[in-house]
Amino acid sequence: MVEPLDPKPSALKSKMRVADLDVYYGAFQAMKHANLDVPERRVMALIGPSGCGKSTFLRALNRMHDLTPGARVTGSVTLDGNDIYAPGVDPVAVRHRIGMVFQRPNPFPKSIFENVVYGPKIHGEGNSKRLAEICEKSLRAAALWDEVKDRLNRSALDLSGGQQQRLCIARVLAVEPEVILMDEPASALDPIATSKIEDLIGQLTKDYTVIIVTHSMQQAARISDFTTFFLLGDLIEVGTTSDIFTRPTDKRTEDYITGRYG
Amino acid sequence: MASAIAGAPPVNSFSESHARGRRLVDSIATVMLWAAAISVIGMLILFVVYLFVQGASAISWHFLVGYPSAADAGGGVGPEIFNSFYVLILTLIFTVPISVLAGVYLQEYAGPGRFRELVQFSAESLATVPSIVMGLFGLIVFVSLFHWHFTALGGALTLTLLNLPTMMRVTQEALSGVPATYREASMALGATKWQTVLRAILPSAIGPLTTGVVLVSGRIFGETAALIFTAGASVSYGASAYDFNPFHTAETLAVHLYSTQREALVPDAAQIANGSALVLLVMVLIFNVTARLVGRQLTLRFTGKAP
Repeated sequence: MVEPLDPKPSALKSKMRVADLDVYYGAFQAMKHANLDVPERRVMALIGPSGCGKSTFLRALNRMHDLTPGARVTGSVTLDGNDIYAPGVDPVAVRHRIGMVFQRPNPFPKSIFENVVYGPKIHGEGNSKRLAEICEKSLRAAALWDEVKDRLNRSALDLSGGQQQRLCIARVLAVEPEVILMDEPASALDPIATSKIEDLIGQLTKDYTVIIVTHSMQQAARISDFTTFFLLGDLIEVGTTSDIFTRPTDKRTEDYITGRYG
Repeated sequence: MASAIAGAPPVNSFSESHARGRRLVDSIATVMLWAAAISVIGMLILFVVYLFVQGASAISWHFLVGYPSAADAGGGVGPEIFNSFYVLILTLIFTVPISVLAGVYLQEYAGPGRFRELVQFSAESLATVPSIVMGLFGLIVFVSLFHWHFTALGGALTLTLLNLPTMMRVTQEALSGVPATYREASMALGATKWQTVLRAILPSAIGPLTTGVVLVSGRIFGETAALIFTAGASVSYGASAYDFNPFHTAETLAVHLYSTQREALVPDAAQIANGSALVLLVMVLIFNVTARLVGRQLTLRFTGKAP
């Protein structure tokens, strides 16, 4: 576990702030009045049993719910003080600054190179020399460069699952977001690939704020500075990871940590 | 052993009589299924061999490049071969963009609702119109109303109407086969919807889309009824056998096959029809193989992976 500089979240600069967040799927309320401060350049883990709303919460942070018919979000989510749900805000611009890595590796059926430069290209970078630089830099940052540098033009689908997931991280890094959201990024991977992803996440906090959903408490303990616990659509408790795992203040958190919920 | 003690011969419990009966039925079923599959191949071979035997003697260089003859024996099908490709290309130029864009709209943009159902219903209705009726429509609109008379363009537009629904359907199917994760990934990288469609979704669907174009092309090559009244049943006698003017009459090979067999005055009509049939078959085969090779290259280029 990475030891935070200061154990109190409030002492760090807040990168994202969620206030009174409600998420509905049709009539069903999947997230109720959630409030959270996300400190800059730290790893925030979101934990809780299946169906607790942690992924729902995560997807509200870069307006992915806009793509789901019937989903509705109220409340506010700010990035550096700017509300991403304010009228007139372009969700496309929001997702440019807040990237996302999904549960299953989802590279495009294109070459490794084309996958990494997909984002820069759609944002208008056309210089091939510059794209090659971005590609190398992003793959290095995702700890994948040495494994693929000789076959950048080969299909991304030929890579192993773990390599594909690191490629997806490189693809996000290439658009230089400020925050990276990860939705159980290692749950489909074997233990070795998982540990590579975990090491990588530790590296990323040099430049990025990371918010990661995980179903593994061990993983949350290993990689995160702060942990938030969700249960049945409620945000129950947030604290430094060591506090949450050793002295949770809420009985429900304690029950979960000690294995009383699935 | 129990049987040795009882003094009875050993009985293998796996070979009871009802099991034998079921095995027999199983074997018969297997043979029948195999025979059905073989007969499909057999019919194809029979058909191709028949066409070759009947048509091969008609084939000559002169037949392949020469003009058809009005009354004497020895006419060729040069302009018809050209027209078949020319009308095909013209039709694809209209059909592919319109139907792909319409398919993208229905699949990616239109939510479920009245409008989408209306377009879907219109397309399905259009798809069930017999081609001869579509030909009559082309005759009324392009030939009479527009005063174009028999033209390659009129024929191509009629064929476009005929093939739009199929190609739109193919596009929708191809797009629905693209995993939702590609859309999510692209949108999460800050792409707009149109960028996502153009750069992530359509390239991923290039394989099935090519297959769709091949299928539609096969139908266009073979289409006769819709063309008799629109592109006409005679060729234009211009400077060469290859007339690129879309406002000239353009009899295709399939139409030529029909009209020679039906109403030609030439003494070798049956021979020409057989030769035309063979050329048509070989043309379709060559086109299909080429299109598939091109499709493979496109897939490789766009997705970095052989299909």
